[in-house]
Amino acid sequence: MPERAERKALEKGLNTLNENMATMAELSELAIRKAVDGLSRGDRATAEEVFTLDQELYGLQEEIEGTCVDLLALHAPVARDLRTITTSLKITTDLDRIGRYAKDIAEMSLQFPEGPPPGLSDLAKIPQMAEHTIRMVDTVIRAFVRRDADSVRNILEVDDEVDRLNDEVFAEIVGHMEAGRLAIVAGARYVLVARHLERIADHAVNIGMRVVYMVSGETLPRIRAADRAKRPPG
Amino acid sequence: MTSKLTADGLSAWYGPKKAIEDISLAFEEHAATAIIGPSGCGKSTLIRCLNRMHETLPKTRVEGKVLLDGEDVYEQDAVAVRRRIGMVFQKANPFPTMSVYDNVAAGLRLNGTRDRKVLDRAVKGSLVKAALWDEVKDSLGKPGVGLSGGQQQRLCIARALAVEPEVLLMDEPCSALDPIATAKIEDLIFDLKKEYTVVIVTHNMQQAARVSDSTAFLYLGRLIEVGGTRELFEHPREELTEKYITGRFG
Repeated sequence: MPERAERKALEKGLNTLNENMATMAELSELAIRKAVDGLSRGDRATAEEVFTLDQELYGLQEEIEGTCVDLLALHAPVARDLRTITTSLKITTDLDRIGRYAKDIAEMSLQFPEGPPPGLSDLAKIPQMAEHTIRMVDTVIRAFVRRDADSVRNILEVDDEVDRLNDEVFAEIVGHMEAGRLAIVAGARYVLVARHLERIADHAVNIGMRVVYMVSGETLPRIRAADRAKRPPG
Repeated sequence: MTSKLTADGLSAWYGPKKAIEDISLAFEEHAATAIIGPSGCGKSTLIRCLNRMHETLPKTRVEGKVLLDGEDVYEQDAVAVRRRIGMVFQKANPFPTMSVYDNVAAGLRLNGTRDRKVLDRAVKGSLVKAALWDEVKDSLGKPGVGLSGGQQQRLCIARALAVEPEVLLMDEPCSALDPIATAKIEDLIFDLKKEYTVVIVTHNMQQAARVSDSTAFLYLGRLIEVGGTRELFEHPREELTEKYITGRFG
């Protein structure tokens, strides 16, 4: 059992870790919101803000990693403390990757200097997919901050909807390009945007599953959608 | 895995004071089981009941059963039980007037073995098993108390092994040792558990995590939780265990 003074030092380190994790989570969600907003408005300034956020996220990730390594090395944590630290180490990578995808989406805005090309307004599925993805990220971040495993137990099923939308976006874009309503270059970029959103949702799934582990110690099985469909309900 | 040793509804008293209460716990064969818990929780009392050492103190009493290979040790000869269930104590306690050789041979001599060749073989075998042979093979005639603390503890382990026990009880065997000597004992426990059933009482949580396959948590004389060591330290079932191992007690 850690001594009282040691427990205090561990507690202090865990508080710092939790604060930085909450900040990083909020910044990564903000980065996606701004990236999607910037893309729909073709706004260069918003894209620049996303680049800054991405830098911030990278810096926070390094700081969090350092804190985790210190806590592991100095306090040999166990049980909930151990799960919090190892989960933070893993989640921080997911949050950083979310920031990187937000940056990639923001860079797309700069590919259309005159604003979004004609066609985006017709691509109703991309904003829908973006909204769904952002909601997923928001849900897992809330779950992490509130230590609420129950709200994310179904995260794999929630992700199925993003995967389905991704397929529809692809079909929609190809349809527009074939009909000549959307330039090939613009269409290809939108396919990439959808791909980035789909990857962001995958990182949200990782976070959700790790939150379940952090809170309950339980490791959820990662079952593919096709296999899940074959299982009996319940 | 099969249970070599089982405490079944075990309670023990010092005079009117009940030290452990209704403990049922199985110790797997060829595995190490760690017993953890705060001071005074009954860890040492529990293992002293397993080889009938508890009753050697005045005004003590035991209820319940301890089954060794299914037979209750309290219905057998106590000395024979202690031969089958050896013990290593917190503080290394080599016999102060005896040489290294005689320390290891003491148990066998007490049992009537006089044949020098048999003794030589047993002493060497036990010192090899206790990972001490290479360090003392040229000084077997020197006093056991002249060895370092870590070596003395391994000498005591060799002494316990010489009578060929089936179970080895260790009561905080590293608490008086530095990290290097501790690491040697921990390495030794890894080897010993292949051949023996090891039960180790420890205050050192990391040590329990490192060397044991199962861990039991005792509190106020009761068994709160027992499980695989990894599970217990990663996600204990009981809130009390969680509080103790993370230092949130009190």
